Amino acid sequence: MDEPGAENGPLKILIADDSDSDRLILKTLLKGLGHDVLDAANGRDAVRLFQSGAPDIVMLDALMPAMDGMEAARQIKRLAGERMVPVIFVTSLTEAGDLAQCLEAGGDGFLSKPYNRLMIKAKISAFNRMRLLHQALSRQRDAMRERNRQLLEEQHVARRVFDNIAHTGCLDAANIRYHASPLSVFSGDVLFASPRPAGGMLVFAGDFTGHGLPAAIGAMPVAETFYGMAGKGFDGSDILREINQKLARILPKDMFCCGVMVEADFAFNQLRIWNGGLPDGWLVRSSTERYSLPSLHLPLGILGADQFKAEMDVVRTRPGDRLLLMTDGVLECSDAAGNLFGEEGVRLALENAGNEGHPFDALMRGIEQFTGQLNFGDDLTLFCLEMIDEAGLAVLPDALEPSSLAGPTEWTCEYEVRERTLGEFSPLPLLFHICMEVPGLRRKSGEIYTLLSELYNNALEHGVLELPSEWKYTQAGFDRYYEERTVRLGRVGGHYIRFRFHHKPVGPGGRLHVVCEDSGSGFDFRNHPALQSAAVAHSGPRYGGRGLVLLKRLAESVRYYGEGNRVEVVYEWCP
Amino acid sequence: MPIQTSRSHDGQTLIIRIEGRFDFSTHQAFRDAYEHGGTDVRGYIVDLAEATYLDSSALGMLLLLRDYAGGDNASIAIENCNKDVRKILTISNFEQLFTIR
Amino acid sequence: MVDTPHLDEEALAELQDVMEDEFGILIQTYLNDSRERIDNLKAAIREADADAFARTAHSFKGSCINIGAPRLGELCRDAEKAGLENRLNDAAPALEAIETEFQRVTRALESLMAGDAR
Repeated sequence: MDEPGAENGPLKILIADDSDSDRLILKTLLKGLGHDVLDAANGRDAVRLFQSGAPDIVMLDALMPAMDGMEAARQIKRLAGERMVPVIFVTSLTEAGDLAQCLEAGGDGFLSKPYNRLMIKAKISAFNRMRLLHQALSRQRDAMRERNRQLLEEQHVARRVFDNIAHTGCLDAANIRYHASPLSVFSGDVLFASPRPAGGMLVFAGDFTGHGLPAAIGAMPVAETFYGMAGKGFDGSDILREINQKLARILPKDMFCCGVMVEADFAFNQLRIWNGGLPDGWLVRSSTERYSLPSLHLPLGILGADQFKAEMDVVRTRPGDRLLLMTDGVLECSDAAGNLFGEEGVRLALENAGNEGHPFDALMRGIEQFTGQLNFGDDLTLFCLEMIDEAGLAVLPDALEPSSLAGPTEWTCEYEVRERTLGEFSPLPLLFHICMEVPGLRRKSGEIYTLLSELYNNALEHGVLELPSEWKYTQAGFDRYYEERTVRLGRVGGHYIRFRFHHKPVGPGGRLHVVCEDSGSGFDFRNHPALQSAAVAHSGPRYGGRGLVLLKRLAESVRYYGEGNRVEVVYEWCP
Repeated sequence: MPIQTSRSHDGQTLIIRIEGRFDFSTHQAFRDAYEHGGTDVRGYIVDLAEATYLDSSALGMLLLLRDYAGGDNASIAIENCNKDVRKILTISNFEQLFTIR
Repeated sequence: MVDTPHLDEEALAELQDVMEDEFGILIQTYLNDSRERIDNLKAAIREADADAFARTAHSFKGSCINIGAPRLGELCRDAEKAGLENRLNDAAPALEAIETEFQRVTRALESLMAGDAR
């Protein structure tokens, strides 16, 4: 397409008039103004000339034989498509209705007879300005369209990269339901779930301030930190501290990440939760019984490490309880009138669920009905976790890949933590990591982690902190137990916990000796029921009792020495 | 103007009044308000009496002001929030960083 | 209508200015065109085609206005109106008036051309 760019440059103008004298006048006038003229005596010829000559402006008489100006205008506009070709009607029509018809046919303006040189010049230049403006806008629009297409393509590529890091973890587990937009990472929402080496799950739902690339970039390190640390057995608080520190360092001051971290322990029937800036989470027991889990913390990425509080609150649950988490997008759904769904909308939806309905479905339906949309929520995330018997969970994938290296098979190792470190640091991930260097043990990562954490928690909570496990049998005692644990950890002194490992190959497998000793006063292991007979051991409560039942089930042997402050566990494995 | 500034009676506090929506569209104006507020300012009051709405980018702007005003040593009060605005500040636990009245 | 001049001197002067050497051709074209149109008007009356009568009168009107023959243009408008309102009875007298005025315009233009040629 030739594009006379200059406002006063010569244009190619198509004129059509069945009156020879009128056509001659107009043609001569336009040529006198410096334009090139194509002329036709009827509408049909005009359309033909339009196709072959691609004029910039068209001037049509309204009434012509063969094809009148209105029909010619319609066809010319259709042929021009997105290109702006001004069509001016030259006419002696004066009836308003006739003039309106010309406009409806696609006419952009009128020029009335008799022709006036100045008027024609002014009209042509006005319509040419309009044409140039349209061209400029079209070019800009095309450029924007193209840019947008590129951006979407880039987002899809970025999404694939992101998915490799922030895979869905165990979001497909049978006890999880969730809604997240496929491109939600670019709206700032993230949702991760990971099995824990010792059983249970870690879940993180987050919502970054801002949209697009900045939000997605922040999400990357969060994903990597979460999955990396969760797989190594770190607990929610550790991961929160790490994420907070990382985000505070990399994000601009005005960006942060609202989030909820949840540690689900199905065996103990308890949740540990930390909410920093997300809407209330809900523990739903029935349509009438539910507990809010409000935000008690600043979002991640704001406070420095010294001020950040990562302590998680403990919530006792029952099998069948459901935990609901949501991002801002849920509350910010709006109906046609612009009203927000809000906390009230959530409350109503949950109340309407009835006892049979799943709260996740109830909430999704509530949003759907409220917004009147079936595919709402490009920027909302909704997550639901059901507390179930762990045995009902399909075996979660082992996150650790077998190493291609042979790894150590004969080694010993001693590691001791003392004094204030006991209150500030958990050696479990490190110890776990050392054991996982043995290639064959990687396949037993869950058992090893459980074994280590039971030993360590016994030593710490009962040995060093002298917390009575009986407290855990009642609700009140349970709360007291964890409150007291925090208090005593804060002032721990004069204590140590020491681990000694010895591993050696046995046939195709191996044997791991673990000795765990603490500086506490021990306990009467000689009369402890779990250490007496298998019958008692299997009928006793699942939690409490120093987790000895669990230890006995996993290990070849469990022996106590001294005052009960030293325990030796032998774990044998075959590939 | 959606954002107006004035000084307290003793002249030591810069009062920033926000009218209407406090969101990304006010980003530049809000920043100008405190950056051009004078060098002798000891404290800040963000008056939200006329603010109808506040979003997460406004929270970000408040964090920028806090950083500008000295981070942990900043003296910033957020005043006269309506119920909705208050709710958003509460969910984010901003009372840990700002005096909210 | 009696006040409307046969020729618009001013318009013709401007046309002369615009057309320069082609002014003569324009006048000849107009006169030929017009004769053809008068024939078409007659044919329309003969065939009692009010629609064709109106359309031809409309086009004729446009070129008369453009060439600077306003009175003939007005007569054409009356004829167009008669055609549009399907008053075939009024068409014949209207055409008669057009023919008379056209004779006058032809003479005037020819004398203008003759004067111009001098």
